[in-house]
Amino acid sequence: MKELTQKQIFDYLFNNGIENFIGVPDSTMKYFISQGFKKKKILITTREDEAIGIASGMALSNQNSLVFMQNAGFANSISTITSLVQLYELPIIFLIGWRGYLKSDAPEHYKIGRIQPELIKSIGLNSKIVTESNWKECCKWAVNKINHSIPCTLIIRREFVD
Amino acid sequence: MLIRKDAIKIASKTIVDSPIIAANGYISRDLFEVDDKNTNFYMIGSMGLSSSIALGVALKNPKKRVYIFDGDGNLLMNLGSLTTIGKLKPKNLIHLVFDNQSHDSTGGQPTNSDNIDLYKIAKASNYKAFKTNSKVGLKKILRKIKTLDGPIMIKIKISKGGKPGKRIIHSPITIKKRFSRNL
Repeated sequence: MKELTQKQIFDYLFNNGIENFIGVPDSTMKYFISQGFKKKKILITTREDEAIGIASGMALSNQNSLVFMQNAGFANSISTITSLVQLYELPIIFLIGWRGYLKSDAPEHYKIGRIQPELIKSIGLNSKIVTESNWKECCKWAVNKINHSIPCTLIIRREFVD
Repeated sequence: MLIRKDAIKIASKTIVDSPIIAANGYISRDLFEVDDKNTNFYMIGSMGLSSSIALGVALKNPKKRVYIFDGDGNLLMNLGSLTTIGKLKPKNLIHLVFDNQSHDSTGGQPTNSDNIDLYKIAKASNYKAFKTNSKVGLKKILRKIKTLDGPIMIKIKISKGGKPGKRIIHSPITIKKRFSRNL
């Protein structure tokens, strides 16, 4: 996804009530993260489930948060999502970088990339794939979800190989 | 030797109505049994994350002193959390670790804390650290830290075993709602 779009996504979410951006970096969304750093709103954690824990504490304090991660980290976090975020119905937006979307991506991403859509669906997380053309609509949808205390997921595809 | 339920009771009664994030397993159950209150957040699943949840609460509620009731097994599962806390240095975060050197809730299997000193790790992670293995010592430290800025860790050596507290009767949604309302 283009640098400008990623920055626009950050700005839109930030200007629409998302106050905290916590996670483990993913190069798929590096411009999103750097825009957050510019606004001094990024907290980098050691693991993805740690980020979800911190965002949960903020949600308990009635503050809206987004947790960003690569899909490898999403796989690490499934138990935390089911036994913390979903169990207590905590409103958090997940932003997930979809590695392994391209078959030509690095081999460690292939399997998780292939099963990711089903994984998200089977744990019952609402999700949308964000593109250059629908990003605003997706962000609006996500903000609306968490304003109704429903956790949800935005996905950015990894459309290049470096 | 200090038993878990007594240590939890002393700490909770001293803290009165400051928020407490309690780790899953026997720690939450004991706290529920000895001093159930609206300001307790009982973590049911998500083992390891009590310190992270508490960090989120502490960052957003700077006027409240936020307490973590952690166990050695829980803390070891999310040791990276100490470095995040130590980097951010929240003044209002107090981390109590009830250390029985075992996973008591799952049958008493050993953890690494019999060989590795969590107190030293806390110190290396920018905490003010204290340790005790007695009721008197715990009361003294709790008094002393009242005027100190966090992050603070108190490592409390407790005995393994003992009767666990009863199961928490509140639903997760009730636990969340009453905790949030009382922040």
